[in-house]
Amino acid sequence: MFDPIMEQILAIARDAWAFMAGLLIVVALLGGLYFILQGTAGMAFGGSRMTSMAIIGVVGLVIIVLFAFLFLPQLGEMLKNFQPKPPF
Amino acid sequence: MSDATSLLLTFLREAWVALAGAFLAFALLAGIAQVLRVSSASVLGVNLWVWESVSALMSIVVLGLFAFLGIPQIVNALQSSLPGAGGCGPISELGTLASGLIGGLAALRMLKAAFTSMLSATIGGASSFANALIECGEAFFGMILASAAIPLAAWFLGTC
Repeated sequence: MFDPIMEQILAIARDAWAFMAGLLIVVALLGGLYFILQGTAGMAFGGSRMTSMAIIGVVGLVIIVLFAFLFLPQLGEMLKNFQPKPPF
Repeated sequence: MSDATSLLLTFLREAWVALAGAFLAFALLAGIAQVLRVSSASVLGVNLWVWESVSALMSIVVLGLFAFLGIPQIVNALQSSLPGAGGCGPISELGTLASGLIGGLAALRMLKAAFTSMLSATIGGASSFANALIECGEAFFGMILASAAIPLAAWFLGTC
């Protein structure tokens, strides 16, 4: 009875997932570019702290993106395995 | 009466499966939204947003585990305390129908409350989060009250 509604909801959710994954890639690329600019500026001006912060920022950004693309699907699989049958 | 019971319970079971699927889909969307917020906040250097998003992500995981592992156990425990047949004849059938419907409706209400909590945790709505948890508690106590009310009603209407 609820299958047609669920199909609609899941189609919207899939579109939203693809949109947000694309947006995350764009934000991560822009952030990486910003950090690279910060790092090169720091190197040019001799700002070692600025450069090190930029390197840490790039590494953190990579970790966040990897977390999003590796951990979240695994979390979804785990929750899908835990998805309970009706307890009544 | 048993046909009506099975029809209503089938409807509620299908609603449960649909709600659980929607919960899973929205939990994953909420997760990626929080990760997006973490990445943008870390680029902007907003530490508070990062910590808010990390805690929201944790709360989504905890709510998902509660909804998928905790709620079925709570419903099973409470449903076993509901007396199915408090008499004989039509009273017995009505008791079976009532206990089945109470269990199904309470389970759906608790899952809906968990769904609302998860959506509220995503957007940072603390008040609606609390309201959803209160609703979960209401369903819990409603089932406890029903476990006492059904035998009383059977006694009042007459038992064999």
